[in-house]
Amino acid sequence: MTSLAMTPTTIGLLMFAGMLVLMAIRIPIAAAMFVPGALGYWAMTNHSALLNVLKGSSVARLTIYDLSVIPLFLLMGQFATQGGLSRALFNAAAAFVGHVRGGLAMASIFAAGAFGAVCGSSVATAATITQVAYPEMKRLGYKGRLSTATLATSGTLGILIPPSVPLVVYAILTEQSIGKLFAAAMIPGILAMLGYVAVVALICKLKPDLAPAAMPLAWSKRWTALLGVWPIMTIFVAVFGGIYGGIFSPTEGAAVGAVLTLAAAVMNREMSWSALWKSCTATAETSAMVFLIFLGADMMNAALAITQMPAAVAEWVTGLHVSSIFIIAAILAMYILLGCVMDELSMLLLTIPVIFPAVMSLEIYGLGPEMKAIWFGILVLMTVGIGMIAPPVGLNVYVVNNLAKDVPMNETYKGVFPFLAWDLIRVGLMLAFPILSLGLVKLLFTR
Amino acid sequence: MKALLRSISLFAAVAGGLIALAVGLLTVYSVTQRAIITKPLAGDIELVQFGIALSISLCIAWCQLHGSNIIVDFFTQKAAPKTNRWLDGTGCVFMALMYGLLSVRTLYGAIAVHGAHETSPTLDLPMWWTYACLAPGLALACVVALTQAWMHFSQEDMISLTGIVSDDLSEIKL
Repeated sequence: MTSLAMTPTTIGLLMFAGMLVLMAIRIPIAAAMFVPGALGYWAMTNHSALLNVLKGSSVARLTIYDLSVIPLFLLMGQFATQGGLSRALFNAAAAFVGHVRGGLAMASIFAAGAFGAVCGSSVATAATITQVAYPEMKRLGYKGRLSTATLATSGTLGILIPPSVPLVVYAILTEQSIGKLFAAAMIPGILAMLGYVAVVALICKLKPDLAPAAMPLAWSKRWTALLGVWPIMTIFVAVFGGIYGGIFSPTEGAAVGAVLTLAAAVMNREMSWSALWKSCTATAETSAMVFLIFLGADMMNAALAITQMPAAVAEWVTGLHVSSIFIIAAILAMYILLGCVMDELSMLLLTIPVIFPAVMSLEIYGLGPEMKAIWFGILVLMTVGIGMIAPPVGLNVYVVNNLAKDVPMNETYKGVFPFLAWDLIRVGLMLAFPILSLGLVKLLFTR
Repeated sequence: MKALLRSISLFAAVAGGLIALAVGLLTVYSVTQRAIITKPLAGDIELVQFGIALSISLCIAWCQLHGSNIIVDFFTQKAAPKTNRWLDGTGCVFMALMYGLLSVRTLYGAIAVHGAHETSPTLDLPMWWTYACLAPGLALACVVALTQAWMHFSQEDMISLTGIVSDDLSEIKL
């Protein structure tokens, strides 16, 4: 051992504290995990063991087959974004519900939900729907508070409805099936979407001046608008039908999705060379960012594992004399707080290795290990969604406000509160009724 | 010099994106083959693993240059701009340390694996290729990060490295 004669727990705590301090002073999260992790690993073993583990760590992480879905799903989302697929969705939804009060806000929620079915990122969904829906809402005299808050919130459907990048990260970290987690996210995602629509309806009922109604369209025009969504429907059915029909793996599904989305964007005559170029660089940035956080978290978790801290945390949690549901609720509350200041992927990569063993050691509704892992994953995903819109740092709010510069940011934050209320109610429902997320998994995978 | 660094990083990133697209096309081909003649492309999984690893490593430098690495800026929002430049410079040094260590060690890994004559199970590709392919991307990112650290410490305008950042959708990170 080292001459400092520190106990493993002390080293573990020091690493954790060092990481938090580095994060607080603007050190990129990847390095804030990597450097204390490497130092801790060194302290727990010796320098040659550290150098040895570094020799293979990047290859080990970058060549994981399941992780290939991330760049491929990101590419698919970029093609959908650059290829203008969101406009057709919004037009179709607006054709059907635009004439009710607040109808365009509802239409943007439906469009975001449908876009979320081909895009795994909440920020991209928020940005692309805002670009097509915001000018339209503004033209009709929708108040900025309602329109921007609806757009920021509906962006979270990008991750709540599969495919979902945070859910893939969770699946990899906890060694669960990506396909099953996607299935489990489906009904909660649709519930989220319908609830948001209900929130808009309620707001417009209480304050009719926030959103005027548009003229109804003739039915012939509605059917024409609906025809515009067939490419996205086809892609969704091909990708998820293929995955759940057992025809291909999630990685293959993502590849098929990316290629089909590119084809749809080309057919749409929106995929120029510069759009392809942009799709490539945007995918490059995000995939590299995700994998760098993975590499940092790997180092941290390897060191933490030697200090036995995750096991100690699990032991401590099981030793608490409170009900399991209460512990889960406390963990979720912590996630909501963390999500207010931290990015969602780093949050998952940082906490899941420590918290997941503790969750698995709890007895919850008599669920088996796999079902428990899936159920918890969906709960975590929903708290991540909350972090995207909750003040003080809601990434979606920033993105929408950047595109709708005439609305002050605090107006958007005020507008977001009713939607946050529905988010919290939904977390409570999921907590109380695991069948909401697990029902579809059981239906699809029990043969 | 900075413009060159920017161009290299940008082209590496576009190449990385196109490689990911190529992996997608190859997979679609393999899936189609499997559906039609029930025989997928041999070694498709190995090619996907190798292609995606190469793609990511090429993207890292652009991610660093473009400032896409995630930071928590909540606690330093009210700090003086000069202080934040210093902190960001320190952040770049930390990232450079990470890139440098990983790059050099991955190269050593390549040498070790080369000596052991390891090959991939289906296609018999030499395993050291994967290791050797990842090192240059990481090394490039290390150079970018060190340049940025220097620019932050000397309070130099970053625009000479990043170029003009436009406000349109493509600049919004997913």
